[in-house]
Amino acid sequence: MIKETRITLKNIGKINPESIDDYIAVGGYQGLKKALTMEPFSVIDEMLEAGLRGRGGAGFSTGMKQKFTSKSCQECPQRYVVVNADEGEPGTFKDRVIMEQDPHLYLEGTIIAAYSIQATKGYIYLRGEYHDSILKTRKAIESAYERGFLGKNILGSGFDFDVEIRLGAGSYLCGEELTMLESLEGKRGNPRIKPPFPAEKGVFGAPTLVNNVETLANVPLIAKNGKEWYRQFGTERSAGTKIFTVSGQVNKPGHYEVEMGITLRQLINDLCGGMQDGKPFKAALLGGAAGTFVDQSMLDERMTYDNLTEKGATLGSGAVIVMAEKDSIYEVLHSCLRFFKHESCGKCVPCRVGTTQMVRDLIKLKNGVNDKKSLIEKLVKDSKMIASTSLCPLGQSPILPMESAARFFTDELVKEH
Amino acid sequence: MSKLINLTIDNQKIQAPEGANLLQVAKDNGIEIPHLCYHKKLTPTGACRLCVVKVEGMRGMVASCAIKAEEGMDVTAFDDELEEARKYLLDYLLSEHNEQYDGNYYDEFRDLKLRYGLDNPENRKFPSIWKELNYPVDDTSPVLRYDASKCIKCFRCIKACDEVQGKNVLSFAQRGITSYIIGGYDHWKESECDGCGECIQLCPTGAIVEKPHAKQINVENGIEKVRTTCPYCGVGCQLELWVQNGKIVRSNGVEDVSPNYGRLCVKGRFGYEYNQHKDRLTTPLIKKNGKFEEASWDEALDLIARKFKEIKEKHGPTALAGYSSAKTTNEDNYLFSKLVRIAFGSNNVDYCTRLCHASTVTAMLRSLGDGAGSNSIEDYENSDCMLFTGNNIIETHPVTATFVKTGKRKGGRIIIMDPKWTPLVKYADIWLQPKLGTDVALLNGMIRTIIHENLIDKDFIEKRVDGGMKSFKALSELTEQYTPDYVEKITGVPGELMQEAARIYAKAQKPLIATGMGFSQQVTGTHNVFSLINMCLITGQIGKEGAGLNPPRGQNNVQGASDVGASPFTYPGYIPVTDDENRQRVAKIWGVPYESLDGEKGLSTVEIMQAAYDGKVKGLYIMGENPMVTDPNLNHTLEAIKKLEFVVVQDIFHTETTPYADVILPAAGFAEKNGTVVNSDRRVLRMHPAVNPPGQARQDWEIITEVARRMDSSIGEYNDESEIWEELRKAAPIFTGINYKRLEEHGIQWPCPDENHPGTATLFLDKFNTPNGLGVLHPVHYAEQSEKANADFPFLLNSGRILYQYHSSTMSRRNDSLNEFANQAYVLMHEEDARKHQFMEGDKVKITSKRGELQTVIKVSNHVLRGELFMPFHYSEAPVNNLTRDELDPYSRIAPFKLSAVRVEKVR
Repeated sequence: MIKETRITLKNIGKINPESIDDYIAVGGYQGLKKALTMEPFSVIDEMLEAGLRGRGGAGFSTGMKQKFTSKSCQECPQRYVVVNADEGEPGTFKDRVIMEQDPHLYLEGTIIAAYSIQATKGYIYLRGEYHDSILKTRKAIESAYERGFLGKNILGSGFDFDVEIRLGAGSYLCGEELTMLESLEGKRGNPRIKPPFPAEKGVFGAPTLVNNVETLANVPLIAKNGKEWYRQFGTERSAGTKIFTVSGQVNKPGHYEVEMGITLRQLINDLCGGMQDGKPFKAALLGGAAGTFVDQSMLDERMTYDNLTEKGATLGSGAVIVMAEKDSIYEVLHSCLRFFKHESCGKCVPCRVGTTQMVRDLIKLKNGVNDKKSLIEKLVKDSKMIASTSLCPLGQSPILPMESAARFFTDELVKEH
Repeated sequence: MSKLINLTIDNQKIQAPEGANLLQVAKDNGIEIPHLCYHKKLTPTGACRLCVVKVEGMRGMVASCAIKAEEGMDVTAFDDELEEARKYLLDYLLSEHNEQYDGNYYDEFRDLKLRYGLDNPENRKFPSIWKELNYPVDDTSPVLRYDASKCIKCFRCIKACDEVQGKNVLSFAQRGITSYIIGGYDHWKESECDGCGECIQLCPTGAIVEKPHAKQINVENGIEKVRTTCPYCGVGCQLELWVQNGKIVRSNGVEDVSPNYGRLCVKGRFGYEYNQHKDRLTTPLIKKNGKFEEASWDEALDLIARKFKEIKEKHGPTALAGYSSAKTTNEDNYLFSKLVRIAFGSNNVDYCTRLCHASTVTAMLRSLGDGAGSNSIEDYENSDCMLFTGNNIIETHPVTATFVKTGKRKGGRIIIMDPKWTPLVKYADIWLQPKLGTDVALLNGMIRTIIHENLIDKDFIEKRVDGGMKSFKALSELTEQYTPDYVEKITGVPGELMQEAARIYAKAQKPLIATGMGFSQQVTGTHNVFSLINMCLITGQIGKEGAGLNPPRGQNNVQGASDVGASPFTYPGYIPVTDDENRQRVAKIWGVPYESLDGEKGLSTVEIMQAAYDGKVKGLYIMGENPMVTDPNLNHTLEAIKKLEFVVVQDIFHTETTPYADVILPAAGFAEKNGTVVNSDRRVLRMHPAVNPPGQARQDWEIITEVARRMDSSIGEYNDESEIWEELRKAAPIFTGINYKRLEEHGIQWPCPDENHPGTATLFLDKFNTPNGLGVLHPVHYAEQSEKANADFPFLLNSGRILYQYHSSTMSRRNDSLNEFANQAYVLMHEEDARKHQFMEGDKVKITSKRGELQTVIKVSNHVLRGELFMPFHYSEAPVNNLTRDELDPYSRIAPFKLSAVRVEKVR
């Protein structure tokens, strides 16, 4: 029987999220104070050696990202930190929990990250529909300014940093970092060509560090407690904890912070109280729409970035949508593909047209076609082609649910209807 | 350019500049990787994905348009997998595409479809779905039509509008497969689109097409393409005219060549229609009993020769005068001035330059020794400070303005000095808005600021200014009284803003000044420009690459007409007519006795009319000018022209002036002309004939030589224009190295002393062209205007140009496309004045000055200051010049078109 290991969610439900005093009373802003006594590059080294990896889904080393950003374009007069708070992956609500219930934690992380790369300006790009997150973050920023954690000469260190909230307007794609930067600049949410990466040329052409809320929530903890403390959690290559957001056919859906490396079976049985009404487990969609289906053969795989990738699955944002015997894989897959079609910005050809053609083909599967198996093969092939030619991660996503559905559930997709 | 690196594409070893665009590198080396969204004029987009390649060391397929060439790169551009991917992508694109093709445009997408065999439906994987997508058509623009079903969403139009033209009008509506292009917030017509058509030129599929001649054109059938120079403003844009069945059906910008690099404005792209308008003059006309009757050329020419000879014999050579034309070629102008000098026997030849930049040229000649712009149009792109004085560059030189906007984007700062709002204000860092006629005070204030803050270039003053620090001291003493407070009191410009502008200008590395009609068309026009030059000289902001002073020219050959000697003061190449030695040299080239050339200066444009009024000039030969709209104080001009004994007008249309002619001669239009013109940056450019003149219309130069011959006074025998040029380049040393052959690809900037000389991009690098090679300071005080607002005439009226019309509009108003954008005269009035005097938008009003009156309608607009008004001068039904003065600038003889005291009354 495993238990939650709450480090980023430690204060949830225990403090008043609108009270900076509450946050300070539980050790808040200690990480920032300590970081400000260190050289910026030492802060980066600390993150690097702690093994923190981006929690937005890609799992890239946070310290590396900071290093690249701090080193690029030395003559640039300005560097930025952008907080990716545009949580839009279906089934994912981990950032919301932090923003609504412990907003100072990620704000503190933002300030430390800014210090590490010597950014003087930050933007929090926040999902427009997250009303409570917006209010709580706004309040946290106000209080932080009042207490001298933001603004000029923070805590007498000589470091200046301002932060501003920018709201998303309902586009999933604006959660993609380069699209987010376009949107931040007031432009239409179309992805940019990569390279250059944000570390090189981000918002307004300046070096920019883009981090997810959950990632930044880990930063003050590492700054305060040190890398050794952090490395005690999780595995060698996936250090720390991960917040899983579980929905679907379990008894206790919700958010769970656990050490990296637990299994899906442990998550469902030990934390979520098992399957609803004792129904047999059939499948889970890991990582949201841009995620992969798994069947019961994967129940005992350790859920780390590397192990899941190796087994052809994804950890992604930590969304886990659990399905039971009678749930239709077809319907979930259809829903995923429609989602991509709806959210495709239309900039690049394969994603714009491909996502539409895939939905049309999938519907044929239901409405009668002679050779369903070939059609599924064609869909997988199409999704591969879209993935290999498209401009941004959105076009690289339909292949994830499509291929995994075909891998585990071709029989069902052929048989049904 | 950066260093060369080695890379391999499909085993082909290639050298390329480091960091060059990989797709372009392949293209330049004959490897045609398919692509649709990429265009070398635009930043890469990465939307169509067709240009995917494999690069050793990079994962999967990457878009080559998004990759920079690096040393040792090993690229696979073609293999089965890549070709399959491209076929897939084209297949996808086709499924959302309306493939109907009417041959009106080149369709790059269709070409690829054929290349990949996808015209055969059996080769396709995806069903056509475009009909389900309900793509809209936007037909609202006066000049173009957008059909979303033919759009491949490649972003080229959006970037053409934004990156190339700096307008940023276009964007996408919706998203995903239903997305499509919109102008502004929705419809093209309501957007800020000004119809330049850059989007049309760069559209790869014909989703955006021109409206004119859309039905007739078939690109695969009998289109002849002729390159020539745009007939409108002085940018000198290179056009590619499309001719089908003897008719011009399209005008595109010529890519890759200066000065426009493919860019055009609305007039250049859609303004060619006048050339084939039904109103064109097709036969000579002789006035008999007050009515014009068709006549033969012999009849008309004999009559002209006889009359001119009679007047010359009776009243002497100075009783004849000629208006030459900035709308004709160098060759035409050269022969016209030769006709006046040899056949008429005087120097009474001038043209419209006297009405526009005469004061600028006068001041520049005296201070710098050359009256032409010191820089190239492209220099704006790299300037860090651009100062516009009385210059509405976006409307008057729209293509130059695109370089200005690029300069702004690259970090250059823009300062505007103008009493009236211009569209460039939106891009400006500082807008100084002085009251009309107070420019000298403002500049003296700036000069004082520069001196007080020690922003002068002492080294430059000592080495390159006549009198060095001593002359400077005189300027310094004179400007001392122009304190910020004093300047603010006179000009209304906040002192601090004026100081800030002075600092930005003086501290810049490569500042450029573009000065316009607002500065020159004043009684103090020459003084205005003297002050401007004073500021240039004390800061050393002239005589180096990328910095200087430029008067953008208003017509395609204003510069050339002056260069070739259509001037009462100078022979070809700015050689004074009063200089004996020069006269001897020219007489030798022309093969005439030296004594036969008049050594006295002739009369200038407005002076010719004044002399006509006084009965001193009796006969006038007008080539391609329309003084009855463009001259100041038109009522006076009318009386003057009526007093003339004999008037010849040689033009392409009936104009406001032709009713007063005795003989009208039909001339060739721009698209029928062979020859050369000179643009604003001294670039000699070719004109090539695309179509034949209508009816019996003839080339201007042929008519001129005939008139001379029939006056028993040969001005030379020429078989074609190139022979005229060959003589001209002997007469004008600035052109010596330029011949027709050299001009086929690119224009050449004068001076060009020999045939191996590349031309001169920047003037004054080593010395000025004054006799001692030094720049001359001319300290001048602000002088109050003689014309003031008073109880009877409480408003000061300014006049000027708009984008969609051109000069007296004989050309521009014969284009339906341009008229759809703007075809209505108006007067701008500040809203507080309107409220105070109870005027409403659209009210019909009578405007009266001491000289005359006109009727127009009110436009309420805060684009003018309180107490000031503005009217475009293009519209003959509301002729602004009924109101203007012919009180001239004493140095340059320019008239003050920009300031007239008037009153405004409602008409019931």
